[in-house]
Amino acid sequence: MTIPRLLMLTLLLIMVPTAQAHHVLGRPAYSLNEDSNTPPAMQIETQVGAYFVTFMAYPAFPKPGEPGRVNFYASRIDSGVSFSGPVTFTVRDDGLLIDSAPETLGQQMPDDGVYRQNYQFHQAGDYLVRAQFESDGEPYTVDFPLRIGDPAPIGPIGLAVALVALLLLSVNLSQRKRLARLKTQRHNAGRA
Amino acid sequence: MAWPIAELEATAAICSVAPAAATTETMVHPGLPIAWAAVAMLMMIGLSLPVLRGSPGNASRSDGDHMLSLTALPMIGPALHEALRRPWLLLTLRILTAALFLLLIAAGLFGSPIPERNLATVLTWTFWWTGIVIAVLLLGSAWCAICPWDALAAWLVRRRLWRRGAPHTSLNLRYPSWLRNQWPALSMLAGLTWLELGVGVTTSPYATALLGLAMVVMATTSMALFERKGFCQYVCPIGRTLGAYSTTVPVAVRPIDPLVCADCKTLECYHGTDQIEPCPTHLVIGRTDVNQFCTSCGACVQSCPSHNVSWGVRPVANEAMHHTRGHWDGAWFMVGLVALTSFHGLTMLPEWEQWMRHSARWIGDSGQLLWTFSLGMALSLVLIAGTFVVTIRLTQRLGPRQADFKPLFNNLALAVLPLAFAYHIAHNLSHMLRESHGTWAVFVNPFGRGTLPLSTTERHALMTLPIPEQLLFTLQAGLIVLGLGLAVRILGARARKIGLDRGVSRVPTTTFLLGVSGMNLWLLTQPMIMRM
Repeated sequence: MTIPRLLMLTLLLIMVPTAQAHHVLGRPAYSLNEDSNTPPAMQIETQVGAYFVTFMAYPAFPKPGEPGRVNFYASRIDSGVSFSGPVTFTVRDDGLLIDSAPETLGQQMPDDGVYRQNYQFHQAGDYLVRAQFESDGEPYTVDFPLRIGDPAPIGPIGLAVALVALLLLSVNLSQRKRLARLKTQRHNAGRA
Repeated sequence: MAWPIAELEATAAICSVAPAAATTETMVHPGLPIAWAAVAMLMMIGLSLPVLRGSPGNASRSDGDHMLSLTALPMIGPALHEALRRPWLLLTLRILTAALFLLLIAAGLFGSPIPERNLATVLTWTFWWTGIVIAVLLLGSAWCAICPWDALAAWLVRRRLWRRGAPHTSLNLRYPSWLRNQWPALSMLAGLTWLELGVGVTTSPYATALLGLAMVVMATTSMALFERKGFCQYVCPIGRTLGAYSTTVPVAVRPIDPLVCADCKTLECYHGTDQIEPCPTHLVIGRTDVNQFCTSCGACVQSCPSHNVSWGVRPVANEAMHHTRGHWDGAWFMVGLVALTSFHGLTMLPEWEQWMRHSARWIGDSGQLLWTFSLGMALSLVLIAGTFVVTIRLTQRLGPRQADFKPLFNNLALAVLPLAFAYHIAHNLSHMLRESHGTWAVFVNPFGRGTLPLSTTERHALMTLPIPEQLLFTLQAGLIVLGLGLAVRILGARARKIGLDRGVSRVPTTTFLLGVSGMNLWLLTQPMIMRM
């Protein structure tokens, strides 16, 4: 990064633009539509290149075999104009140590500026939904993590327990060996 | 037949909720009125003037002269001292906090991912993370005595509930010399801030539980490999922060009669007894006047054969003024602490996200904007720490001839400590009071089973202050003024100690203290984003 850019960044940090309430970028927010009795939705807002994008999963906590949908909306940061070209949605398994090939969910055109992609997952797990589009000759890729079903908590607990157990066992064995060696040394010293 | 992992649902639209309709706006707390800030600023300027005249601090006082032992309190004192001398009180508290911690881990891993409905996020970030700093004010480093990370690690490694463990349960290695300093704790504190504000673990019960588990694994590993409690002494960001703050509070563990300790030859407080563990941080409590590394574990209170160790009350900030030894790593920890606390406030301003968005476009960042956040964090920390370095360089020029940079830096860094402490409390006070209303429901349903996200009405109700708003403003402004007042007192005492007798040589540091306090005051005047 060049020095002028760093200086500009510092200036941007010092400037005080108008404040608005907002989402925290890139983090999931759970919301409830109070005008209806529908289940909650999960929404992530972020920005990619020249676009500000909103990704919404409905329902927020989808189950295997249950139909769901992602809504995608992109608008230019500079002008606020909605993107209107085609958007391709793919999905791949995002589980730990899993390297699966992406599968295409479909290609959608906007309806009132919003791209809607329906889905139905068969198995619980962590997935990555990807929206791809092209604008001004630039390819855009937006990833959106989606959990189907309940998380598998045995993973982190199992890992923590295994780590601690291995550590304590190693220390115990090492100390037992050391004590046995000391005992032998003392015994030999006593005989001498 | 291989199933595809997902398929296109052919049915019509399931719902007609457009993103804009479902948007939940983040709530913002109102800031301190400008008039309050102006009055506070004037008071701070008034408080700073005496130190510029080169007025001497009470440099020769020692806190031993002024210690009021808990045992001296009528009725309650001896009873409380007796209770603390026996292990059951601390053990009961440790079991309680450990049980609550395990429940928190289970809720985080198995419960609802909605942060405001899950015990893991509410207890950790709304109550503990905010309350722990406020607790230092009244109880010093008492939290460390009942810390569940340490309690679980000790039970796993020592295999005893409270009695001294067998020596062979740990390798008892000496902590590596390159790690015997405050740099690991400072790195951990910066890392924790990055996880909290950048990655956003505060909004994820699952990530909060993972973080808690990771701390237990680290504490256990340290205890299994190294002697005593090196994790608490050198690595734990919470312990070191509480330790640093506790040098300015009036509560400490101390000998009741220093002469008894002076004649002691057996040093049970340091070596322990057959039943009681030795001091986890290598303190001879009877002969130290520095509590920075005391974890309030009570081992010295229990092991002293003369029953001569007790909690007591001492003059505010006396330790930081006269006794804390200025070390290079410790001084940097304090400067880091003041920078990180102010940075905390900065990121909760609605403007921060605007800066992030602008900056992300410049560097081509996308997604969670972690690169942008990291860069912003690094710049903010470097700016504050760098300004302090420049301050010390200026002091060097204006001070006595051939004054070394390091002693100046190490001593004057202690003066910034109350600024971090005061702003930390003022900031957390607002979070805790404004965001805890109604959250007690998570104790009834810790896993958040069957709960829905907060509605707008609930969000507004959540922000109902349990105290009058004017009282909160008074407390916040008062804390910042008090912090500056203490900082100036420490500056006076430390400046005298290192020969900065001329008032002009104190101008740079005084200006820095006023600048940071002014910035913190300004941060408090700004609307602040709700934590969850």
